[in-house]
Amino acid sequence: MSGIAKTPVLAEEGGNNQTRKRSLQTSEQCNNKRTKSDEMSANEKKSNFSMLTPNSNGSIKMTSSSMNKPGAATKKLVIKNFKSKPNLPENYQETTWSKLREAVIAIQTSKAIAYSLEELYQAVENMCSHKMASQLYVNLTNLVEAHVKANIEQFLSESMDRQVFLKRMDDCWRAHCRQMIMIRSIFLYLDRTYVLQNPSIHSIWDMGLDLFRHHIAMNTLVQTRTVDGLLTLIERERGGDAVDISLLKSLLRMLSDLQIYQDAFEHKFLQATERLYAAEGQRLMRELAVPQYLAHVEKRLREENERLLHYLDPSTKWQLIHTIERQLLSEHLTGILGKGLESLMDGPRLADLTTLYTLFSRVKDGLTELCNHFNAYIKKKGRTIVIEPERDKTMVAELLEFKEQLDHVVNTCFQRNDKFLYSMREAFEYFINQRQNKPAELIAKFVDVKLRAGNKEATEEELERLLDKIMVLFRFIHGKDVFEAFYKKDLAKRLLVGKSASVDAEKSMLSKLKQECGGGFTCKLEGMFKDMELSKDINITYKQHLAATSEGGGLELSVYILTMGFWPTYGAVDVRLPATLTRQQDHFSKFYLAKHSGRKLQWQPTLGHCVLRAHFAQGNKELQVSLFQALCLLLFNDGDNLSFEDIKAATNIEEGELRRTLQSLACGKARVLSKAPRGREVHDSDHFSFNADFTNKLFRIKINQIQMKETSEEQKATEERVFQDRQYQIDAAIVRVMKMRKALSHNLLISELYNQLKFPVKPADLKKRIESLIDRDYMERDKDNPNQYNYVA
Amino acid sequence: MSGEDCDAFDRGDNDGQKPDKMFTLKKWNAVAMWSWDVECDTCAICRVQVMDACLRCQGESKKDSYGKQDCVVVWGECNHSFHFCCMSLWVKQNNRCPLCQQEWSIQRMGK
Repeated sequence: MSGIAKTPVLAEEGGNNQTRKRSLQTSEQCNNKRTKSDEMSANEKKSNFSMLTPNSNGSIKMTSSSMNKPGAATKKLVIKNFKSKPNLPENYQETTWSKLREAVIAIQTSKAIAYSLEELYQAVENMCSHKMASQLYVNLTNLVEAHVKANIEQFLSESMDRQVFLKRMDDCWRAHCRQMIMIRSIFLYLDRTYVLQNPSIHSIWDMGLDLFRHHIAMNTLVQTRTVDGLLTLIERERGGDAVDISLLKSLLRMLSDLQIYQDAFEHKFLQATERLYAAEGQRLMRELAVPQYLAHVEKRLREENERLLHYLDPSTKWQLIHTIERQLLSEHLTGILGKGLESLMDGPRLADLTTLYTLFSRVKDGLTELCNHFNAYIKKKGRTIVIEPERDKTMVAELLEFKEQLDHVVNTCFQRNDKFLYSMREAFEYFINQRQNKPAELIAKFVDVKLRAGNKEATEEELERLLDKIMVLFRFIHGKDVFEAFYKKDLAKRLLVGKSASVDAEKSMLSKLKQECGGGFTCKLEGMFKDMELSKDINITYKQHLAATSEGGGLELSVYILTMGFWPTYGAVDVRLPATLTRQQDHFSKFYLAKHSGRKLQWQPTLGHCVLRAHFAQGNKELQVSLFQALCLLLFNDGDNLSFEDIKAATNIEEGELRRTLQSLACGKARVLSKAPRGREVHDSDHFSFNADFTNKLFRIKINQIQMKETSEEQKATEERVFQDRQYQIDAAIVRVMKMRKALSHNLLISELYNQLKFPVKPADLKKRIESLIDRDYMERDKDNPNQYNYVA
Repeated sequence: MSGEDCDAFDRGDNDGQKPDKMFTLKKWNAVAMWSWDVECDTCAICRVQVMDACLRCQGESKKDSYGKQDCVVVWGECNHSFHFCCMSLWVKQNNRCPLCQQEWSIQRMGK
């Protein structure tokens, strides 16, 4: 009886276990309330059921009385009560029970049952009908309890092999289940009526479980042995041994059926798991390379999932997987990234990176850590590309390649995660501006090379794609004005020398820049294109004008008229032109200024080009040369042997320029002049003469000018110009801020300026500009506080 | 020396096809920069260089097919020059040259 009384409490505890655990974690007060309400609801349930029972009893009575009616009918319908109730034999209860008892014991000892099952079932039904159900239930419970109790003995003996123990436990459990099913079948009527009507009483099956739990599973020694045995088995399986999985499965099912899975097993199991993987994580992080380690973690997770599928209770899943992730991944996040990310990215080992991403996305902060390391990697690698002057030649190409590789990794391995894309952009912007000006300059020059004629390595579509990629790099650059300055200089060269590969590509690049930086950025560049078109028109009308006035002679003159301010500034050079040329030039000037009043023209001999016809002993050639080269060559029409000084006096070309010009004519590939004495360099004492024996298989020959070492002067000039332009921007920003704030302290002004200015500035430069603005009365220092500025309207 | 040169080229021009000439100039691509022919290169009204569009035009970023030609320069009889846009606003208030206070009348316009 005591067993039955206990059971509802036990069941209650089992059922509410999870909610209790949770509420325990939050607060005890809450817990108290919860248990009260639990009790309340249990009472309510009981009362509900008790309300139902009288009804169902009544209906049964009704049917039994209606059954009796037809038997009592005679001519005259008189209904009399039975004089006496049919009596059961005196010892009916005892005999029937002993019959049933015999059967149950037969089942429990796996012997043949002496009575037919139908007869037994009938016996149970009869006993229940005669209100012996409760006694029958008590008897049955006692009988089962006695048997279960007897079974414990086999598990208590000392020094039993674990495997054998588990086997025996399994057998015992299976036998118990089998028996209880059989017993329940016989006592089904009891189960359906008496038990159903009394909610406080366990069904026969539950009673069996309860007894088994109480007497066998809850036995401390047995439970410890079972659980330890199971853990050993699982550990061996994790170690790679083959174990009896069906045994594991059956025993674990037993534990969960007995509702002691969580209390007895799960906790210990998770502890063991944690211990195992903590050790394994530590050891393998030392021993394995990162890709192998990741593969191992992946394998472990797969195995544990299979384990869950095969024998563990599904309720363990979350905690188990979480434990593994914590021990194998969370604990080692920085370790893995620090040790392996760089080499994985360098590869790039896409498959491993994908694994890395998927594994890290499982754990808290995993992706954030990965993203941070990814960012640091880009910054570090990018910096090495950008920072070293020796790598300048390949910088842009390397950057493009690097960017493409990273894009590929983010797209294929990191699922285009926005966080990574953003981080990549941030990292690029950071490292590309680590070195001032140079990246911008090199990107501009890279574009120049690609847009120059003779670059036949790419089709138009390829070029377009390349330009798009370059624009991505360009976007990261803070000093866009540096880019503009160099781009403009190169564009001017391309346009004036006619070296541009395709107008379409130029225009497309221009529209990209416009899109990126707005019309203000490109309006001067657009103006350069416009000048080229206008020049074409002017030259046509000039030709018509010449034809009408029959001027000009054999020389074909075409002029590019450039708008000052759109183009880079070229220094004014004064050279002595032959009279014919001067006359042509003046003639054109007169024509042009008549058309455009209020303008003046400044000729730029440094940019002029000529085609010369030359008569050599071997035949006529056409030479494509610069104006300076032409001026030198034309001198040889009259004197054959000219000294350096002669030529210098006759042409008035600047000395260094002249030296390079003569070098190109006498020491280059096409030597139309001979120099005495021979040698690579041109000296003041050298003499030059016409090389009549000049031969070349081509008719048109282009004699390249020797480029001035651009790195030194020209580059400095461009940078200087950029700096000049920046000063105006600084001035404008200062005035803007001051006009808005009227009065501002020095530090606040500086920080405002850093927010507004898009290029890097030194505080010293800002100070200089502030001083200059104070001098020019745009602002003044406060009389009382020297750290404060006031705006002067 | 230069006299000789001119002589040589003059002859070359006259009879360029003579076989004894070693070099003859056939084609010349010259380059020239144009700018407004002004004494002061900033407009006194808007303080912007006359070669650039005036402030108002820059702000509106007006652009027809000829870039800046809608922001030309104007010269007064006093020979002072300004953006035409700036000056036409100025004369509505005060028909004098802002620099010399002479009565303003247009001498010529840039084109």
